Amino acid sequence: MVRIQVTVDGQRCEDEVEPRLLLVHYLRERVGKVGTPVGCDTSNCGACTVQLDGRSVKSCAVLAVQADGSEVTTIEGLANGEWHPMQKAFKECHALQCGYCTPGMIMAAVDLLSNNPNPSEEEIRDGLEGNLCRCTGYHNIVKAVQMAAAEGGAR
Amino acid sequence: MSGSVTVARSLDQALDALRSGPDARLVAGGTDLMVEVNAGRWQPGTLVSVDRAPELRGWHRDGDEIVLGSGLTYAEMERGELARLVPALAQAARTVGSPQIRNAGTLGGNVVTASPAGDTLPVLTALDAVVQIAGPEGTRISPLREFVRGVKRTDLRAGEVVTAVRVPALRGAQEFLKVGTRNAMVISVVMVAVVVDLDGHTVRVGVGSAAPVPVRAPLAEEYVGALVDWERARMDDPTGEVAAQFGELVAQATSPIDDHRSTAAYRRRAVAVCAARAVRRAFQEPESP
Amino acid sequence: MNDVVRPVMQDAVAAAPTRVDGRDKVTGRARYAVEHPVEDVVWAWPVTSTVAKGRVTEIDASEANGTEGVIAVLTHANAPRLGETDDAELQLLQSDRVAYRGQVCALVVGETVESARAGADAVRVRYDEAEHDVVLDARHPAMFTPEKVNPGFPTDTSIGDPDTAFAVAAVQLDATYTTPTEHNHAMEPHATTASWGADGTLTLYDSNQGSTGVARVMADLFGLQVRAVHVISEHVGGGFGSKGTPRPNIVLAAMAAQAVGRPVRLALGRQHMFSLVGYRTPTIQRLRLGATTDGVLRSLVHDVWEQTSTLDDFAEQTAVISRMLYAAPARRTTHRLVRLDVPTPSWMRAPGEAPGSFALESAMDELAAACDLDPVELRVRNEPDVDPESGKPFSSRNLVACLREGARRFGWEQRDPTPGVRRDGRWLVGTGVASSTYPARTAPSQARMSIGSDGVVTVELNAVDIGTGSRTALTQIAAEAMDLPTDRVRLRIGDSTLPPAMIAGGSMGLTSWGSAIVKGARQLRELVGRRDGAIPEDGLEVTADTAEEVRAVSGYARHAFGAQFCEVRVDADTGEVRVPRLLGVFAVGRVINARTARSQLVGGMTMGLSMALHEEGVVDVQHGDNVNHDLAGYHIAAHADVADVDAMWLEEHDEHLNLVGAKGIGEIGIVGTAAAVANAVHHATGVRVRDLPIRVDRLLGRG
Repeated sequence: MVRIQVTVDGQRCEDEVEPRLLLVHYLRERVGKVGTPVGCDTSNCGACTVQLDGRSVKSCAVLAVQADGSEVTTIEGLANGEWHPMQKAFKECHALQCGYCTPGMIMAAVDLLSNNPNPSEEEIRDGLEGNLCRCTGYHNIVKAVQMAAAEGGAR
Repeated sequence: MSGSVTVARSLDQALDALRSGPDARLVAGGTDLMVEVNAGRWQPGTLVSVDRAPELRGWHRDGDEIVLGSGLTYAEMERGELARLVPALAQAARTVGSPQIRNAGTLGGNVVTASPAGDTLPVLTALDAVVQIAGPEGTRISPLREFVRGVKRTDLRAGEVVTAVRVPALRGAQEFLKVGTRNAMVISVVMVAVVVDLDGHTVRVGVGSAAPVPVRAPLAEEYVGALVDWERARMDDPTGEVAAQFGELVAQATSPIDDHRSTAAYRRRAVAVCAARAVRRAFQEPESP
Repeated sequence: MNDVVRPVMQDAVAAAPTRVDGRDKVTGRARYAVEHPVEDVVWAWPVTSTVAKGRVTEIDASEANGTEGVIAVLTHANAPRLGETDDAELQLLQSDRVAYRGQVCALVVGETVESARAGADAVRVRYDEAEHDVVLDARHPAMFTPEKVNPGFPTDTSIGDPDTAFAVAAVQLDATYTTPTEHNHAMEPHATTASWGADGTLTLYDSNQGSTGVARVMADLFGLQVRAVHVISEHVGGGFGSKGTPRPNIVLAAMAAQAVGRPVRLALGRQHMFSLVGYRTPTIQRLRLGATTDGVLRSLVHDVWEQTSTLDDFAEQTAVISRMLYAAPARRTTHRLVRLDVPTPSWMRAPGEAPGSFALESAMDELAAACDLDPVELRVRNEPDVDPESGKPFSSRNLVACLREGARRFGWEQRDPTPGVRRDGRWLVGTGVASSTYPARTAPSQARMSIGSDGVVTVELNAVDIGTGSRTALTQIAAEAMDLPTDRVRLRIGDSTLPPAMIAGGSMGLTSWGSAIVKGARQLRELVGRRDGAIPEDGLEVTADTAEEVRAVSGYARHAFGAQFCEVRVDADTGEVRVPRLLGVFAVGRVINARTARSQLVGGMTMGLSMALHEEGVVDVQHGDNVNHDLAGYHIAAHADVADVDAMWLEEHDEHLNLVGAKGIGEIGIVGTAAAVANAVHHATGVRVRDLPIRVDRLLGRG
């Protein structure tokens, strides 16, 4: 067991964890942040994307112990208030169907805008290449990111 | 078997932790290793996490060379001054995985994994990169072409850590091209890097996914090097014949295989096309004749 | 009697509200199968076979049992015995027989998902291995004629003398097409949380496309009354057919919970989904089209060879599309099946029509070229007056209108038919077209509807929202049928204790559920009307059942239609294919919610694009395995593969369908897309690719 200290969505967590524990399972099973889903556990689908110290990562490819001392933001802690502009845009643009890829897609999109506040359509499609949607609502997702960008979604 | 993880906060801590046993393995970004772990192909015995070790991070100039820390992430290769200095590496980094993977995955990981499809390897091969290694016996260096010994096999010995990769800072164009089956998150079908050394009057090429290890194509390099007007940095090739011949010679240096992503015949052809395109771009010749 | 029931056909519902569950889904509050809080819960992880055929001779669980956190290891020797059902894939851990590689041969229960997985890795299984047979081949000696094809169609049909008609036809096309194994891969892996009550009841949070049937099967397997099984499926992360029936996850979770006396969660890993949850069979399809020089079909023969497992006969209805899409006086369709040492194929979006349309619509394109005719015009010339096999009139059939409207919007009229001549720099450019169709069916469903003294209407039925937006659309249908604003309607779905209803499958979910709601609304309004609008304090309630309406024989052939137009760009040197434009025009009856409908159609087309260019389950002949068994190796279309994909529909009023007037839209988007892409690739390059996916090496470098 290893003692780790992680700030998750602004809440300080101290836990004894097994070294093999993946960050995504730590978030879901220990911290209770089940809003971050597991889609493939081979770092292909992006459903489990969270921000680790401000960078988007696939939380199925990070060990919880590697997040020791870090800040993690999940879909549940993204909003500073009622909605994050990206969340609002995803709902308004119907950029969701089954909703399973949505948390990761939103987290990746927020990171995209923080690097590039006004991306072109092509830059959005390239920037979200690591997030698969099977339903597949790519078209509306691009529109949602554009709407969020127009409303300052990089926050 | 639950294993242990050491989060090394320095190179020395990493080296110490590696002494704990033969099953100890290094993890940096985890983008390759965690896939194995999650697939049940490898259970963490002792993991030594080195992504916090400052000695391995970043890059710096050292005279005519650039020292790339093994903890350098793809995202860091993509941007800023480094992207200007080694543009082919930046181009290769941009084709890796996805932004999340590029935030985590490292140069050292790519080198040590030694996959034939490792995206930075053709560039490093073309640049004659040298691998810097620290270990129980001290430090040593190993040229990349000797370091990568086969499919996912390297010269790294027990207890050793790749600390950096040295490449020359060259004057001249660099190009990286990749063919895959999808626009995104592509495992390459073939990759070609072309690097021009205007001062050394050489054109160098590295090819990936077309042999068990990344390969150079000396005949192709000599052929085109002799035809370049080095004063003007131009390759006078109005009909595209030189580029096409260069491509053919590069393809001849490969030994691709048939697999579920493509056929050997296709790979050979794609190598020729990519190499021809890359050399034309490098000398700013029009793309299509 | 007052006309209290207004016609459903109204524009009010087309105002297209956004998703009622949208907020939960963008904030991470939507709960999927293994996310509902349950006390004292443990995890299970399957151990799967590493041989493709044989018997398990020994399972050594000693190391697994000694692994920290492991609670139990279930095998065929100690697992609870199951009752009979008609799905042999669900007889889990009941025998030592191995029927395919990747079959469940043990299950490890651990305190955490990590300990269960570590335990599973420590289980040692020994086999008596037999020689396996995993390759589909049309000349396989064990090919046989199945009794019927799904979901109950005749295996073969024949009209006239198609062989003679073909032999004498002025223009003949005889070509064989293949499609590979394809996997559904909903983003949410199949998952269940199972817990047994002290009273012997079984509660299951499960990811499925309809829990009415799931509860019944689970009751049969575990020897329970159906009412003792409670399946809850609040949010489901996609299904595409693979969650239409219960899968091993739910059975194993319930078994494990029974064995360890604690609630169990089991979420399959992505890699399990290549063998445990069904897939689309690979197909070999031979098309013979005989036509006049004017392109009028005289003979149409569609022969199909496909696979099933040794456990169960699953016969996909691949050639059924050729029974109704075009006129031809002489015609025949056949299906042949072979039992291989592979997992049982199953339902995947537009089962039958998706692969069948690739062959038929590619062949029609080849025929158009052979007749020197525009491919749109060829299809128009073969438009039937009535359903060619049954002779029934179509309830509505607007294929020609879709083709014409699509051609107009796409800019088809300037098209030069010559292949391989348009170039934009290094790109070869081409366009292609294909028809789409899918049956418009309805299945019996019930709905309980009540109105309270506050005037709020509660609608309860065991529908499910697997991502299509049915929660939103059903709320709209109920509001309209009750003539109330949507905020006065409460909808409860996704729970097997609610009135039984159709699954979300076969493009029949919304039409079946909506019909029950419309019927219930009529009954409820009549009840209210009889009391002159006075609603008693404890409210009024009705339960409607559409079994009678659905079973009434229709005199009409009922199908949705569409046309898809595609532009491709092919790198002249490397063969890389890009699809800058894909347009679908559909005629699908009434559209309830334009927003969610468009998403369904565009989503289907995008999956069709993925089928055309990427998806291929590759067989490892030597080991009887899949070569690619994760999403790194099995490619599905990503953001950057998709550019301008658009779908629209024609106004279509069809009163011969159901009480909603809709045809269902879940599948039709994927039908024809792959052929449209392949036809465009041919137009761009002159290379006809008859084998999916359209890989770079199939366009170039064959030498």
